[in-house]
Amino acid sequence: MKDTLRVLHMYPNMLDLYGDSGNMELLSYRLKMRGYGFIRDQYTIGDGEKTDFSSYDLIYLGGGADFEQQLLADDLNSCKDKLLHAYKSGVFLLMICGGYQLMGQYYKDSNGQKIPGLGLFDYYTVASTDKRKRCIGNIVIETEIEGEKYKVIGFENHGGMTDNVSTPFGKVIFGNGNKFGSETEGYTEKNVIATYLHGPLLSKNPVLADHILSYCLSRKQGSAVSLEPLDDGLENRCRSVMLKRLLQTKK
Amino acid sequence: MFIINFFTILLGKIISGLLHLFGKNAGNLPGLVLWTLNKNCLKAFKIDCPIIAVTGTNGKTSVTNFIAKMFKGTGAKIITNPEGNNLDTGITSLLLNHCNFRGRVKADYLILETDESHVPVVYSKLKLQTLVVLNFFRDQLDRNGEVETLILKVNKFCETFEGNLILNGDDPNVARLGLANPNNPNVKYFSVEKYKFATDTLHEAGEGRFCPRCGKELKYEYYQYSHIGRFSCPGCGYGKISPYVRFTDIDLADHSFTADGEKYITADSTIYYMYNLCAVYSVAKLYGIDKKIIRKTFKGFRVNNGRMETFEYKGSKLMLNLAKNPVGANMTVRMINECEGEKEMLFVLNDNLADGYDVSWIWDINFSVFNNVTRVVTSGRRAYDIAVRIKCSGYDADKIVVRPDLDDAVKELFSTTGRKFAVANYTAVQPTRAALKRFTEGESSK
Ligand SMILES: [Zn+2]
Repeated sequence: MKDTLRVLHMYPNMLDLYGDSGNMELLSYRLKMRGYGFIRDQYTIGDGEKTDFSSYDLIYLGGGADFEQQLLADDLNSCKDKLLHAYKSGVFLLMICGGYQLMGQYYKDSNGQKIPGLGLFDYYTVASTDKRKRCIGNIVIETEIEGEKYKVIGFENHGGMTDNVSTPFGKVIFGNGNKFGSETEGYTEKNVIATYLHGPLLSKNPVLADHILSYCLSRKQGSAVSLEPLDDGLENRCRSVMLKRLLQTKK
Repeated sequence: MFIINFFTILLGKIISGLLHLFGKNAGNLPGLVLWTLNKNCLKAFKIDCPIIAVTGTNGKTSVTNFIAKMFKGTGAKIITNPEGNNLDTGITSLLLNHCNFRGRVKADYLILETDESHVPVVYSKLKLQTLVVLNFFRDQLDRNGEVETLILKVNKFCETFEGNLILNGDDPNVARLGLANPNNPNVKYFSVEKYKFATDTLHEAGEGRFCPRCGKELKYEYYQYSHIGRFSCPGCGYGKISPYVRFTDIDLADHSFTADGEKYITADSTIYYMYNLCAVYSVAKLYGIDKKIIRKTFKGFRVNNGRMETFEYKGSKLMLNLAKNPVGANMTVRMINECEGEKEMLFVLNDNLADGYDVSWIWDINFSVFNNVTRVVTSGRRAYDIAVRIKCSGYDADKIVVRPDLDDAVKELFSTTGRKFAVANYTAVQPTRAALKRFTEGESSK
C-alpha cells in the first residue's frame, strides 16, 4: 500500500479566490493517478487548539480579499508557534497571494490598515491606496527545480507590493512579480513556496506540482521517492500555446 | 435649468442623428458624450411612466425580456434596452432615441436591465418604481473579491429607496437588501421550493457564507445551486422570510411549476430558469397582469441570445448556453446531468478583454459530477486550459478532443450523432452560434 499525503488546507472558505482551491484538486489528481492517497483537512477559524500542524505533510493557504484577510488575521496569529514548529520541522508550506502576504512581517491593505503577518519570513507587503492600481495579467517566471530551469506560468492579480524578499521564487520573464515591473517573483526555501501566481498555479506547471509531491513523499518515507511520469500531453500543449503567445508578444 | 436640459437633449439628438446619417448604429456613443458633458444629463428627461429595473449578476437579460414581453402582451407601450446597453450611458442613449425635443419620453412602462454597479447612479436621477434583484455572484470580471463592495453600493441605494423591492429570498446576498430600509413597506421576497436535485452541502463555489448582520456562518437546510437555497443565521435569525411569491412542485421533466395554486408550463426548465421566472412572476403579480398573459408568456416565449438556444443537425439536438462565470457554467453542467441518457459536450473558452484575461474561474466549475457524458470537445483561445481542467476533475483524458478552431470543433462534435450541449463564455458565444449556424445550415443544404 502506497503512502497517503495529508494536507491541511487553511481557511478554505475565506481564502478561495481565483480557483486557488484547484491546487488541492491537482495534487489529489496527480497522487491518485499514481496510486497514492490524499487527505485534505480543512482548517477554519477557531480550530487552532485541536490542530496538530506538524503532523501534516503540506500546509496550504490560498488568496483572499482584504476583508477576509482581516477577519482571519487574529486567528492565524494565535497559531503562530505551532505553524513555526511545523515549518522548522520541514512540513511543506505552499502559499498563494494573500497566504503569501500573511506569512511575512505585515500587510498594509488598500485602506491603509496594517494587518500583522505571522513573521515567519522577513518580507512585508504594502498595497497601493488606489484600489485600481493592481498588477493584473498573465505572468511567466523562471525558477529552478532540482537543478533545472523551469518556466512557471500563472496569472497575477494583486494590489500588494512585496519588498525585502531575500530568496525569490523566480525571475520574472513576462508580467510584474513582487511589485510593479519587478524582476523577482515570490519567495522560496527548501520547503516553502510563496507566490502571487494564480491559475491555479499547479494547473499549468505539472513539473512544479511533482516537485512538491516528491519532496513531501520523500520526507515522509525518509528516502528519495521518484514519481512515475504521467501523461501531461494536454498540460504541455497548454503551456506551449501560452508561452508562445506571451513571450512572442513581448518582443 | 430648463435651458441646460433643452440643450442637453438637443445635443444628444444631433449626435444621434449624425451617427444615423453616416449609417452607424448609435449604440452607447450619444449617451457617452452626454455623460461626459453633463453628469446630470439623465435629469433632462421627462418621464411620467413607471420604471422597472432588473439587476443582479446572472439572468438580467432574460428576466428583462420576459417582463417586457409580458407587459407588451397587455397592450402597453414598452421601452426596454437591448442587451449590453445596461450602463448609465446605454440607458441615456436609449432614452435619447425615444424622447421628443423637449426630452419627454412617451411610454406606459420603462423596463430597464441595469448593471449592478450603475443602479445608484442611474436611479438617483430617474424615479424608480420597482427594483428587481436576482442574485449576486462573483463574476469573472470582478474577481478582486469586490462582490461585497458591489452589494454595499446597492445596499446604500436601498437605504433611501421607498419603491417596490423585489428580492431573491433564497440568496443571502440579495435578501439582506431587504434590511437596508426598515421604513420601506414595499419589500417583497420570492422563493423557489426545494427541487429534486437540491443538495445538503455546498456543491459549487458560492458567495455569502457569512451572515451580513452578525458575521456568523450561515446554516443551510438545502442548496438549490451555488449559494442559493434555504439559509438561516444561527446567531441572529437572519433569513426568515415570508415570500410574496413561492414556486412549488418544480417538475423539470414536465417543465412545470405551481404558483399561487395554479400550475404553469414553461419552455425550458432548470432551477436557474425557475428563479428567473419567479422574479418575472413576482413583477406580474405586483402589477396585476392577467394570468392568461402570464401563462402564455411562460409557455411560448424564449430569449434567443445564446442562452438555451437549440440547434439541430440530422436529428441530433444541440443546446447552446452562455456561461460567463462559474455559476452559469455549473448550471449548464447540472442541466446536462439532469438530462437522461448519453450526451456530448462542447466547451468554448476565450480570454479576450470582455471575458477577463483570467480563466482560473473554470476551476470553480464542478465537473466531477459528470453523468453519462461520453465525449467532450474543447475550443476557443483557451481550449487547452478547459481540457486540462476537465481532465483533472477525473474525466477520462481519452474522451477529450481539443480543437481550438471553432469550425473544426463543431465538425468534430457532429461527427457522431446523439444529444449535444455547448457551453461558451462571453466573447465565445456569438462565434459559436455562427459556427453552429454555418455547419447546421450549410451541411443540410448540401
Ligand atoms: Zn446573523
